[in-house]
Amino acid sequence: MTELERRLLALEIAVPEGPDLAPAVLARIEGRPFPWRRAAVLGIAVAAVAIAAAFAVPQARTSILRFFHLGAATVERVDTLPPAVERSKTKGLGRALPLDAAEGAVGFRLALPPLRERPEHAYVLGGELASVFLHAHGQTVLLSELRSSNELLLKKMAGDATFVEPAQVGGSPGIWIAGAPHTLTYVDRHFGYHQQAILVRGNVLIWIRGPLTLRLEGKLTRAQAVELARSIY
Amino acid sequence: MTAVVDRPLDEPELVERARRGDFRAWETIVRRYQGIAFRTAYVLSGNAADAEEAAQDGFVKAYRALGRFRRGAPLRPWLLRIVANEARNRRRSAGRRERLALRAAVEDRPGDAVPSPEAALLAREARERLLAAVERLSDDHRDAVACRYFLQLSEEETAAALGVRRGTVKSRLARALERLREELS
Repeated sequence: MTELERRLLALEIAVPEGPDLAPAVLARIEGRPFPWRRAAVLGIAVAAVAIAAAFAVPQARTSILRFFHLGAATVERVDTLPPAVERSKTKGLGRALPLDAAEGAVGFRLALPPLRERPEHAYVLGGELASVFLHAHGQTVLLSELRSSNELLLKKMAGDATFVEPAQVGGSPGIWIAGAPHTLTYVDRHFGYHQQAILVRGNVLIWIRGPLTLRLEGKLTRAQAVELARSIY
Repeated sequence: MTAVVDRPLDEPELVERARRGDFRAWETIVRRYQGIAFRTAYVLSGNAADAEEAAQDGFVKAYRALGRFRRGAPLRPWLLRIVANEARNRRRSAGRRERLALRAAVEDRPGDAVPSPEAALLAREARERLLAAVERLSDDHRDAVACRYFLQLSEEETAAALGVRRGTVKSRLARALERLREELS
């Protein structure tokens, strides 16, 4: 062995500690939605409500092929997407409020990535869901947050051409949705109130952080979205 | 008297069980190899999020491809090939290669004389220069160096991970070392 080879062998590269991959791998190969669903005591009750809500969406004459639930979000694999409208940049996000007022309205402090300046405004829907726009990786992305225990449910419906995969954000469970457009509907869990379904063309990462369910939407790759999500505290 | 011994399953048994649909057997394999799988993906992509995805996807794809795995063959090189392929695909689609870094502090080894601060600084700079030179190599040469020297894979495993013949690994390493010598001289 040459001196140069010895020097290369002696280089100590900084490699971060790898995560435990087994839970996510098992969840995917077993065909289970997610391992953490086993621990969700309320899972069955919530599923029943959400499935009922799915059929409450007008003209969603579609069969639910598979059902995922995470925090305040459900994702349903369907054979046909319901009718949906294109969303303009801010329409459908609720009232624009100064950030402090928005946090007061939803009752929690927004988790944000490290920013030079906090956003001036946030959009509040139904006193429960707060959204802000962020800039990351040269893209504008939408970050939405709500309490997992709230009445409001984010319901997504995805067809065959959309990828729905488990993801992990710093050890917390998540869902990655990418590929073909899917729809998003805000549904009241108990009263079935819902908004017109919105067509989402970007990729979406949903994950849990403490009591909150967070959602990132934009044209980010999965790795970029996970990286950004990890920085959100 | 008959003793019942709870022995760990060996690898061929685990693979056979996994092939028959035993998820727990595959879990054991994932836990056994996830460290080297993640490190391999990381040195090829330079990005922890990409590496995590590549390693996870690699284990899922490997499980689904177990029917094509040759019985009796070593599992580790086959797994590393799948994971490395995932990592390089992500690097390619991202259109960039992130640079590796040295560990912040290299511990003194037992028996080593403690170097003076000046000597330690010079040694550190030399290591930084060497790593920077490796990062300037072409992707093929840099990957061969990373697998062989940074991960300390054997030539056979390096060949498997990179999906090339052993002779190709040898020639890539020889050219890479030659280029590094030129750069550092």
